[in-house]
Amino acid sequence: MANKRFFNIFNLTEAEAIDLLDTPCDKLAEDESRYVAASHLINFPTEASINALLRAIDNDDDELDNRIVRRKSIETLGKLQAKQALPAIRKCLVEADCYTVENAVWAIGEIGTEDPQILSEIAQILEREGQNHRVIIHTLVKLDYKPAVDRIQAFTESTDEATASAAISAVCRFTGDYTQMERVIAFLFHPNRNARRACIQDLIDANYYPAIPSIARCPVSIVFRLRAIRLLADIGVERGEIEFSEIRSSLEKTLYDHPQDLELIHEYDLPPTMEFLIRQLYETDFGLCYLATQTILDERASEAPAALSATYEEEAYNDYGAHYHVMKIIGWLKYQPGYELLIEALNNREPQFQKSRAAAALALGELGDERAIPLLVACLETKIWDLKYAVLMALDKLGGTSGCAIAANDDDWLIRARAAI
Amino acid sequence: MKSVVTTVIAAADAAGRFPSSSDLESVQGSIQRAAARLEAAEKLAANLDNVAKEAYDACIKKYGYLNNAGEANETQVKKDKCLRDIKHYMRLINYCLIVGGTGPLDEWGIAGGREVYRALDLPTAPYVEALRFARTRGCAPRDMSTQALVEYNSLLDYTINSLS
Repeated sequence: MANKRFFNIFNLTEAEAIDLLDTPCDKLAEDESRYVAASHLINFPTEASINALLRAIDNDDDELDNRIVRRKSIETLGKLQAKQALPAIRKCLVEADCYTVENAVWAIGEIGTEDPQILSEIAQILEREGQNHRVIIHTLVKLDYKPAVDRIQAFTESTDEATASAAISAVCRFTGDYTQMERVIAFLFHPNRNARRACIQDLIDANYYPAIPSIARCPVSIVFRLRAIRLLADIGVERGEIEFSEIRSSLEKTLYDHPQDLELIHEYDLPPTMEFLIRQLYETDFGLCYLATQTILDERASEAPAALSATYEEEAYNDYGAHYHVMKIIGWLKYQPGYELLIEALNNREPQFQKSRAAAALALGELGDERAIPLLVACLETKIWDLKYAVLMALDKLGGTSGCAIAANDDDWLIRARAAI
Repeated sequence: MKSVVTTVIAAADAAGRFPSSSDLESVQGSIQRAAARLEAAEKLAANLDNVAKEAYDACIKKYGYLNNAGEANETQVKKDKCLRDIKHYMRLINYCLIVGGTGPLDEWGIAGGREVYRALDLPTAPYVEALRFARTRGCAPRDMSTQALVEYNSLLDYTINSLS
């Protein structure tokens, strides 16, 4: 199921987007973008949109601005699962541009095919240098093309960890022998951030439930861990292969997201200054943010509130990464003057700040201020499952009981399961 | 960190040979362009906030975000919040200018990025549009010398190409 939070970010009608996509590059105004149009057509699964995207693929002008439009058109057709686009996308498999080929392979995976000729063509791309082998491997597994297993086997020793992870997982799935999955789990704690993120996807794709406790300890953003545990829980429970009680602890540790529950892989070579620790909260590698958070809590708790308030005013209010960590730390410090800030974050409906809402709910639980109870309960009316789950965890601490009654009738089985405890 | 120099040495070492004359030419070329790259790096660093904000504003100005409740940029006052990502790419471009290669972008910006954007349904269009605007906006000699602008723009193009 696609996450549609960001689909409507451009204000164009279908007709406007098609007109824009059809406009020749030399007729575009400086601020007009066919790339935006190609992205935006994801909102319109119609013949007219699909035909416009197919016309865009036919335009083989090799200028950068057109190249990126072609790639985006291929991707959008994939997202729309437009079967009629398969022949046009297939032709792109032999092109020289590696990203066009990558998008074509990915789109065919989304559309689906059992045509052995197309599948063989995709498998042959594994022989090409400079190609994203990981995407090809994922697609071959998704389309269940077992004849590719020997070719994929060769990538299990790739020096690129993300490729090796995909290959190991693929071979396990094709052969039914999962003994090598421990190697994929080991990548969860690799120094390379990309390897850590990539192997999570491979563990999801393999429905490898035994990895759930390890995923919960992986030092990457909560977004990746939570998505993995949720997807694995959904499929595992639906198939009767795991139960809620088996994943609850990992899920709640992940939502709580305290660095003490993570296996941190970074360390400081010198005692860090407070200024340095605060800057670390803005890093895009969340492993570094978690180490800074742990250090602040362990060693700088007394000076932290002032430093956090200052950085929030200056920058963190405007940076959805640091914003999240500031909310969490306010909670763990039980910093009562942070109450209003947490309430504001709890009700912030901008999608890029979504993970701060659950963080704020849990932090309000840490503060113990009962004024928050009705505001938390109100969040149970949203569609955001992690926020609702976090609200139930926070209400456990605050003593509110009305939340469970509401959550007991939630559409989401996971929320109902939590409410039933 | 991958650069022209490390790439040449790694390739030579892997083959157990000395760098060839064409290897040395590519290193020489990189060194000759170093002054322009460092000028671009310095100017970009000095103006990062303005460059990133201007680029981001431009990308949402033309088509506009929907202002429905719960949509990105629901409120006027918070419209600059995606700046985090634009600044991140600009910082990596700055590193690439200093390194003289695309290693920082490849390793920290692009590797895995395309997969994450697809998996999480995150939109690339705002970033691509912001970077395209930054490329159009750069002006020599107002912002930097012609040669420095060439170096800067080529990295903007590289990023646009890799993200899209």
